[in-house]
Amino acid sequence: MSKHPSEANLALLAGGELSGWRRWSVARHVAGCDQCQHEVAEFSTLREEVRVMAEMPQLSWNSLAAEMRANVRLGLEAGQCVTERPAVHGAFSLRAMVACGSLAMLLVVGFLIEQPAPRAKESKVAEAVLETNGSGIQVTEGSQSMMLLNVGSRDVQYQAGGSAMGARYVNSDTGQVTINNVYVQ
Amino acid sequence: MCSKVAAAAFVGAMALCGQDVPLDLHSSIDIKLPPDSPVALLNTNVRDSGASQRGGAMVIDLHMALSLRNSDSRTIRGITLLVTAQEVTPGGKASVTVPSLNVASGEAFPVRIDLRLLRPLQAGAGPLVQVSLDGVLFAGFDFYGPNRLNSRRSMTVWEMEAERDRQYFKSVLASTGPEALKREMLDSLARQQERPRIDVRLSRGGRSVTSAAEPERMARFAFLKMPDAPVEAIDGWAEVAGNEARTPTIQVQNRSSRPVRYVEIGWIVKDREGHEFLAGSVPAAEGDLLLPPGKTGRVLQDTALRFSRSAGEPVAIASMTGFVSNVEFANGRVWVPSRASLPRMAPPSPEEQRLADLYRTKGLAAVVEELRKY
Repeated sequence: MSKHPSEANLALLAGGELSGWRRWSVARHVAGCDQCQHEVAEFSTLREEVRVMAEMPQLSWNSLAAEMRANVRLGLEAGQCVTERPAVHGAFSLRAMVACGSLAMLLVVGFLIEQPAPRAKESKVAEAVLETNGSGIQVTEGSQSMMLLNVGSRDVQYQAGGSAMGARYVNSDTGQVTINNVYVQ
Repeated sequence: MCSKVAAAAFVGAMALCGQDVPLDLHSSIDIKLPPDSPVALLNTNVRDSGASQRGGAMVIDLHMALSLRNSDSRTIRGITLLVTAQEVTPGGKASVTVPSLNVASGEAFPVRIDLRLLRPLQAGAGPLVQVSLDGVLFAGFDFYGPNRLNSRRSMTVWEMEAERDRQYFKSVLASTGPEALKREMLDSLARQQERPRIDVRLSRGGRSVTSAAEPERMARFAFLKMPDAPVEAIDGWAEVAGNEARTPTIQVQNRSSRPVRYVEIGWIVKDREGHEFLAGSVPAAEGDLLLPPGKTGRVLQDTALRFSRSAGEPVAIASMTGFVSNVEFANGRVWVPSRASLPRMAPPSPEEQRLADLYRTKGLAAVVEELRKY
């Protein structure tokens, strides 16, 4: 059995992002190694979870990434303050290799996280949408909708503001001004 | 072959035309008023309501005519009812407000709620629609209600505008006579007719709602000078692409001596042909703004708005103008602009709309009679 590939290469393989001979060589190893197969499967699951989370519009990945970077920097600075530098034997100590591995892992995960679905310029909008038409104001969520109708109305005045849309008119039956508002949360 | 085509056409036509579906309307609507409510429900008429099947979905038309009675000792000036359909649109809710009321203690008044719901055929049990009280505004600006929709502030603004406009029309009548009042009513109707009919589509989060092919640009607001306003709009911008405007942001400064907790900026858009229309307003987010005297703050709206004419023709945005349309101070008092400082494109107040409609339907004498009641 050849030496196990690095975690970074396994993560890149799981994401289909290794190229050329490296992919061939890592894939060849993984095909015959249960441990690496398991790790690749875990990376694939992680990647899928990240993809699903990236579809949630409320999360600010940039701020999360910035926070992660700030935490890493803080951790490194704190580490420098409290640890004594051990004597370096050879080119890489075990501790330095673990640190490099962890950083590489962090970079890979960060890379995966920063590859969300492309920002929507297209018309597909999952959340509730408000719109006016000749009959009233409608809020639509998927295939379901609720419309507040302007029945018996003259000179309807529509106005959008904040998360609401309003229609104002005089009801011809009652002579009263009616103001319909529909809100999205 | 012909018979198969005919059968398919018949099935298609049935699906398109819709089939009536039985629906227990009284169990479909749940109207809840608190035990100490200042209004009592006298009657609910759902006569013209019904449901029909359209393909795999059900369309439900609910037409509710509620008859309410003022069971309080004070005169009611406005009422807001909250309407929810949790099974159909969990992320949406609606309200129906009737401002400019003059309902004395013990008197009854109607409120109409007209809804259309579209939902799958299979749905859970329980009422389709829940109606509850959000607030009642009395003469003298007293308020009752849970105020979940901030109906207190909205109804206070409308009532202040109503008092301002009634005062103006009464002074016109007193100083220059009925003919001048008639000219005011005709001018109001003409302004309402002038306002272009624009359809608006709104989505939260400032996310695009179109496949905007046009490049995005940052457009700046121009602001109307309003010397009597307690808050001044200093700077503002929005991301604009074709007929879509996203994330309008406006910097405001409190130039009054009192802290301000809410500001609303009216938003006028000019298209490339030079036509102006009121696009809406940019309100401060609830609880987001507390502006001490002299300080500046930011009013931000995390939405995308798309404008089109009734035929679906996009209205390309050329420029934008803003004006301060109302301000709420930290002590709950509200400021509204004077009639003189309002731009022509600003919508008439609900009271002006009601009086102008009264003139159109019943004539000048009815308007004069109405003004004498206040």
